[in-house]
Amino acid sequence: MTAPILLRTKDIAAGYGGGDIISNISVDVEEGKIFTVIGPNGSGKSTFIKVLAGLLRARVGGITIKEEQIAPLAAPERVAKGIAYVPQEYNVFANLTIDENLRLSTEFLKRDRRATGEQRERVLGMFPEIATRLKLRAGYLSGGQRQMLAFACAMMAAPVVLLLDEPSAGLSPKFVTEIFDRIKAVNETGLTVVMIEQNVKEALRIADTVLVLVGGATRLFVPASEIGSTHDLHKLFLG
Amino acid sequence: MAAQYILNGFVSGMILALPAVALTLVYGILKFPNFASGAMLTAGAYLALIFNVYFGMSLLWAAIVGSVIFAFIAVGIDQAVFRQLRDRTSITLLVCSMGVSFVLENIARFIFGNGARSYDLAIARPKHFLGLRINNEQIITAVTVIAAMIVVYLILRHTALGRAMRAVADNPSLAAARGIRRESIVRWTWGITGCLTAVAGVLAGMDRAIDPLLGWNYIVSTFAAAILGGLGNPVGAVIGALVVGVVEETSTLFMPPNYRQIVSFAAIALLLILRPQGLFGVARIKK
Amino acid sequence: MVSYLVTILSLVAIISILGLALNLQWGLCGMVNFGIAGFFALGAYTAALVALAGGGTFLATLCAAIVCSIACAIVALVSLRLSDEYLAILTLGFGEVVRLVVLNEEWLTHGSLGLPGIPRPFWNWIPEDQYEYWFLGLLGVVILLLYLALERLLRSPFGRAIRAVREDDVVAATLGKDVVKLRVKVFALGGVIIGIAGAFHSFYMTYIDPSQFSAILTAYVFMAVIAGGRGSNSGLLLGSVGLMAVIEGTRFLKDFLNVFDATQLSAIRLILIGLGLILLLIFRPQGCFAEYRLKVKKPAPEPRKTAAQTKTSTT
Repeated sequence: MTAPILLRTKDIAAGYGGGDIISNISVDVEEGKIFTVIGPNGSGKSTFIKVLAGLLRARVGGITIKEEQIAPLAAPERVAKGIAYVPQEYNVFANLTIDENLRLSTEFLKRDRRATGEQRERVLGMFPEIATRLKLRAGYLSGGQRQMLAFACAMMAAPVVLLLDEPSAGLSPKFVTEIFDRIKAVNETGLTVVMIEQNVKEALRIADTVLVLVGGATRLFVPASEIGSTHDLHKLFLG
Repeated sequence: MAAQYILNGFVSGMILALPAVALTLVYGILKFPNFASGAMLTAGAYLALIFNVYFGMSLLWAAIVGSVIFAFIAVGIDQAVFRQLRDRTSITLLVCSMGVSFVLENIARFIFGNGARSYDLAIARPKHFLGLRINNEQIITAVTVIAAMIVVYLILRHTALGRAMRAVADNPSLAAARGIRRESIVRWTWGITGCLTAVAGVLAGMDRAIDPLLGWNYIVSTFAAAILGGLGNPVGAVIGALVVGVVEETSTLFMPPNYRQIVSFAAIALLLILRPQGLFGVARIKK
Repeated sequence: MVSYLVTILSLVAIISILGLALNLQWGLCGMVNFGIAGFFALGAYTAALVALAGGGTFLATLCAAIVCSIACAIVALVSLRLSDEYLAILTLGFGEVVRLVVLNEEWLTHGSLGLPGIPRPFWNWIPEDQYEYWFLGLLGVVILLLYLALERLLRSPFGRAIRAVREDDVVAATLGKDVVKLRVKVFALGGVIIGIAGAFHSFYMTYIDPSQFSAILTAYVFMAVIAGGRGSNSGLLLGSVGLMAVIEGTRFLKDFLNVFDATQLSAIRLILIGLGLILLLIFRPQGCFAEYRLKVKKPAPEPRKTAAQTKTSTT
């Protein structure tokens, strides 16, 4: 039983001006699933997710959400379409308080996407560790707490798809397990998740579909259950 | 006696606070020091002059109209010039702002010539308070600047726009990912800072004669104030401006008054050696 | 007419020497010098004072070069570890300081009255009516020597080190302290050249006053450097000529624009310079003569800083 396709990319190629870092990426992300992108360093994972978020323009190729073409849209417009992006580092506004970070997440969206009081309560309920210190400047939070805040901010906009850029990067092992549990929990409420990850083990634990990127190209695009038994990741990663 | 110098310095520091905050806000959002700050101040002074002397408005109304118009002009300059250079280095923007400075200053020179002008303002007797002499201009300056600073503070801390401005200054790509359109915020920033700078022009024009070099004579002091406060930090800029004002004023005890900018220059040099991030800022280090 | 051309070319020559200095400091090494007018004035006044005191023009030039170079070194040292905007601010401030000191220290500089009667090199050796041509020739020789010396410098290990530092932050970090010394040396070397330009300006004009050293001069030099293609000395020389042609060309328009008075015409010219600078930066930042060389950026590493904080080395 396959779910409807929420997000689809077609022949995406992109780079930073010196040539394409990724090319020919065509994937379908099913609604309500966790789609994870893994691959060695420099394989273009980060580039790919930035293209989805709208922070990097695809040189060629199309991106659609529910059949609606979003490739020409810049990042602020994509938020309005239901995309929420959590960057790897610098993922909160360090000079603003937790409260201000949360408010900003929806203040600039169209009226129907602005957070209601209920929405805010719901999100704060999911992330109790930040709910208690709303007036604290985000810069004073620890790495793990910042990740939670970044996550919460993304959730505030009631997105349809969450883009996570290496959610476990820089976190202590305890936090790593916790964050993936949160991601799974959030996914179970119906939110589609696209994440890129270095921590293959943890990522595969919760993923439904896997895309393996090596050298900017798709090497494998299969359900997570098939990894390990049928495919040798080591060989793939090392080319 | 010393108290008079401190008072005078405080008030001249208040005039400085406006362009210093403007400079630091633009720096925060666009990451370059706006060398046209002085010329913009001059332009604001002349605009008010037009409405005050040629249209017969009271200085208050002339200042209001002039600064609102200049807010639009500042946005216009950004759209015509700086916007074309959004993806370039801060050095390019900086050099370009020098060009803007020359253009503005010389438009003023073209229209009004080099001679000094002054506003049509009723002369009032200075007041005396606790043994200090306070003249009318100083009171107007103090009231205006305090009001302006309150407004700016309220905008920055208690409005969505202010939050967005601080967010874009902090992390532009994250801001984009949160739905904030950078261009819109940039335009608002120029509007606000243009307004502030123009008001400063009026205050300066009340204090000194209005000529094409009015604003240029403030530029080193403005930079000193902004750097002292930490580039990008508006509260710091205000404090920096007050300190610079007082230091400059007290320096006239043993230096010719023309050398105020030298004092500020020395302050900048000292700061850059000892504490480049100023009181509250973060210095951008080059490896 | 010929005499007029000689005058123009002499001015172009002096601007070109300043341009060579800026090309070294900024074009090669990325150090923005907004105080050129100030350092230039420093050199000019130093040379004038030494020459007027009887030191002879050669000594005067030497002193000017040394004083400017020391001033540049000091200014550079203060801001060196910080990003380039601080140097720009500092040099601008320095320019202002020089201007104010020159205006106010009348015991030394005669303030706005200026210093008249500055001696000229080899004045007694050349017949008076030919001196202008000869002086232009001397300027040409100086430019040629400087040009060759700078080209030589570019290809030396010193020059390669500078260029490596400019292109790549990481290399700079690895070289560490040496980078600081390197940059100070370059800036000071630029100071030598500016000092020489200042000295020759004094000799040429024989009378200097503060109005000759206004900030617009800095804009002129920047325009010449940008128009010629930042970093290219041959482009600079062409740029100076071109720039001067345009600027002087507007003088001929005076006949058509006689509704405007002198101040207004001067203002128009300055507006054109400002606009020229802006337009150059927007449309031809690589200069008027170079083909646009696409700077191939390396694929960006996983971002270490936000986009706002990353320095790139392109214009």
